[in-house]
Amino acid sequence: MQYRQVAVIGGKGAGPGQFGTSLRGIAVDATGNLYAANDSQITVFDAAGRLRRRWSTSQPAHSVAVAGDGKVYTGQIHQIEIFDGAGKLINTWRDEALLGRVTAIGFVNGDVLAGDATGRAIRRFDLSGKFRNNIGRDNPLNGLLVPNGVVDFGVDAHGIIHATNPGKHRVERYTPAGELLGHIGHFHGTDAAGFGGCCNPTNIAVRDRIYVTEKAGPRAKVYNFSGELEAVIAADVFDANCKNMSVAVDRQGRVYVADTVKLAIFIFEAVAV
Amino acid sequence: MSEHFTRRDLLHKAGRGAVLATLGGGAGFLVRKAHGQVVWQVDAARCLNSRLGEVGVAACNLCTTECVVALSAVRAVNEHSRCGRCNICPAYFNITSAVDDRGLPSEKLCPRDAITRRPIGKADPEDPANNFYEYLIDEEKCDGCGKCVMQCKEPLGLGSIVLRIRYNRCVDCNRCAISTACPKDALIQVPVEQGLRNDGVH
Repeated sequence: MQYRQVAVIGGKGAGPGQFGTSLRGIAVDATGNLYAANDSQITVFDAAGRLRRRWSTSQPAHSVAVAGDGKVYTGQIHQIEIFDGAGKLINTWRDEALLGRVTAIGFVNGDVLAGDATGRAIRRFDLSGKFRNNIGRDNPLNGLLVPNGVVDFGVDAHGIIHATNPGKHRVERYTPAGELLGHIGHFHGTDAAGFGGCCNPTNIAVRDRIYVTEKAGPRAKVYNFSGELEAVIAADVFDANCKNMSVAVDRQGRVYVADTVKLAIFIFEAVAV
Repeated sequence: MSEHFTRRDLLHKAGRGAVLATLGGGAGFLVRKAHGQVVWQVDAARCLNSRLGEVGVAACNLCTTECVVALSAVRAVNEHSRCGRCNICPAYFNITSAVDDRGLPSEKLCPRDAITRRPIGKADPEDPANNFYEYLIDEEKCDGCGKCVMQCKEPLGLGSIVLRIRYNRCVDCNRCAISTACPKDALIQVPVEQGLRNDGVH
């Protein structure tokens, strides 16, 4: 399997569709719209990469996710803000203990998952915001090993949560109740099939496969659910100083990667070989 | 004087003797200096090995080769409060070396074996990744070559290891040889009080 770059969205700047100082999270909704958590706002592009709308968040946005009903959840420091699809604020969940720095949001079985980088765990809430349980915390280290400062995860079609544990060079599988089912991945400094550096992979998206990004040197890769590397999607296009590159995948299998230094979203498609 | 007796040797003997024996360490050296005087220090934001944005380049070892003090008055220092305590530390391991049967890189990075790695708490014998680790730098062995500093900095590491002038070794040249050679002007003069803070002496 090979990938080619098909487009770049955004870039650093003050113009429409550009990002000012940060680009921390991206997500794709069911219709192919692309959402970016940049600066203190959410920016929405259509599937063709055209700017559709943007709105402000009350604090810098660290993550974004779109629920099946179209509500847009944004992770911040100590809170999650929930907007309707037009950007109107619907609700805010505040919790200094459970929502330290929310670097990922997802959904499973009607519940909301929040990756809390401060607590090094995934928090599971019901739709009203009531806390249900932790995921990734029941271990001797009391959490995921994230020296990179980001907790990230994806949820597969069976409701299994795939969380990066970069300090262990693994992607771990959990049930929504928090039971560890297993993992893929291992350290290797030169073989692309492994995860290099001190702590990789940093970010993840899950659909038909497991898509991850790494830092130092930055690259995007795709694995099957057995942990076999299927492709290095891209490496050289990203700024060498990038870390914590958010990744998303749409229904067509297009892969979106957020370069956190260039403040651009690179889009890749698989090509038949 | 022997023809092999270099200026470095002379200054080493004189400097080490005066500073260590007479004043008994870095704090004494600094206390000797009057309020308002300055001392040399490495500016981590300028140093090639620690400044952000310099990736994919070889470590600069001019602090080792240019200092008139034996081994150098510059040492690598791990600021533990910033350290990620990783299982696989790129400043400790040569992370591109072959992987051993424990899943760890088989070679160390430091050419002088100045860094030690030890588990914090009880290590998990089944899974070395299931632990935090403490990385300690032996300043008697370290020569300030900067290799570990280069590997520790962002984005590969967290930048907890930096180069520092140790005042129990520095002979306080008026014209610091490292500052003359440093391509980034990273050797700066700071007030004595700031030097004390940077040296961990309060």
